Amino acid sequence: MTKKLILTAAGLLLFLLAALYAFRHQESMAESAAAPAPSGVVDSSACIAPKEFMKANHMRVLAEWRHSSVREGNRVWVAPDGRKIDKSLNTCLNCHSSNRMFCFNCHMYANVKPNCWNCHISPMEAP
Amino acid sequence: MKKILMPLGMVTVLALVPFVGVQYAGLDYLFGVLIPYLAAAVFLFGFVFRMADWLRRPVPYNITTTCGQEKSLDWIRPNKIESPSNPFFAAVRVLSEVLLFRSLFRNTRAELRKGPDLVYGSNKWLWLGGLVFHWSLLVIVLRHARFFFVMVPGLAEALDQYDSFFDITLPSFYVTDALALSAATFLFVRRVADAKMRLISLPTDYFPLFLIGGIVVVGVLMRYIAKVDVMAVKDQMLRLMSFSFDPPGEIGALFYVHLFLVCMLLLYFPFSKLVHMGAIFLSPTRAMVNNSREKMHVNPWRQPMKFRTYREYEDEFREKMKKAKLPVEKE
Repeated sequence: MTKKLILTAAGLLLFLLAALYAFRHQESMAESAAAPAPSGVVDSSACIAPKEFMKANHMRVLAEWRHSSVREGNRVWVAPDGRKIDKSLNTCLNCHSSNRMFCFNCHMYANVKPNCWNCHISPMEAP
Repeated sequence: MKKILMPLGMVTVLALVPFVGVQYAGLDYLFGVLIPYLAAAVFLFGFVFRMADWLRRPVPYNITTTCGQEKSLDWIRPNKIESPSNPFFAAVRVLSEVLLFRSLFRNTRAELRKGPDLVYGSNKWLWLGGLVFHWSLLVIVLRHARFFFVMVPGLAEALDQYDSFFDITLPSFYVTDALALSAATFLFVRRVADAKMRLISLPTDYFPLFLIGGIVVVGVLMRYIAKVDVMAVKDQMLRLMSFSFDPPGEIGALFYVHLFLVCMLLLYFPFSKLVHMGAIFLSPTRAMVNNSREKMHVNPWRQPMKFRTYREYEDEFREKMKKAKLPVEKE
């Protein structure tokens, strides 16, 4: 009986500590992200990586960009050739939105629904 | 040990065959077009043949296995589901077995604990592991509809959405992938961990487990780590769906490993214990109605027998019996 009680108490304590840590972590993150981040140049003259790589990994690049720019405030992506590029969907869309169906052609065909357009305006909706 | 290693080796070889064949010999037409058609045909015909064969078998006796009170007199309360007296409850019993593994839920385990007393206890781990395994596989199979149809059915789309509910990792993580893998691991460990289970387990028990595990592992690898061209995969699947014999496009060799293992599963299906998928619906002990007190069940095979009475015997041999001084009943 007492063993059970101690175990329950220990579990609760552990949970509390974890919760506290999580919230503290979040708060400190919020403070650091408040400062305006320096941004790179929107350079859409050439694709940031070879076509084959982008075909397989564009979602990872975008997710990494989102994470590091929104959570860590780092908006500059340095390409392997030294170009400094703004981590923004606009960097891609400046060129790729020339074809309104650029994203949707494949995404609809493969039936994959990205969550980009939950917040961003998609090329299909753009005027 | 051999009966575990042999199926494992077989699955490994089966996985290596298409990899080598596509990567080094350029046999993508064989592995991408011919073998899938062959496997699908064998699966369909084999499965239908099996079912038709079992359906044609006569079931003359009322042989339901029950664990409840049969319907009899009005003042005895029957157990409607455990001892179904009409087709509706028989269907309920079969479906609860198929969908919820009702009989496994009652699984017990006997152990000798400290001393000579045999102890029986409830053991629901097999029920849980089996349920998770089968349901995950069903969801995974239905989810794959997105590769087979241009207009994806709503059910498959909804399953896809709920399956990637956690929305972590990219491409988003499917819960059923993890569940199927952990359940397959559990089912394997269950067979290996216990000496009694080890003894009664056969290579044919391990082989499908390894094969399905291999298919899931390769699928997960393809989705998250070693990417293949999804567009080309869908092109190829749509071509297969329209019975086209056009050669497939450029797809990674890993895809052919996945496809080939699935083809092997289809080929193996009608000839192995995996037919329990269809057989569970035909099992007479489970699908029959238990109405042996309501209705007379006559053995339809009973032929009118020819008897020969002692009187007839004596009529034939009376004279000879008298000569031999044997007693006769009629002079």
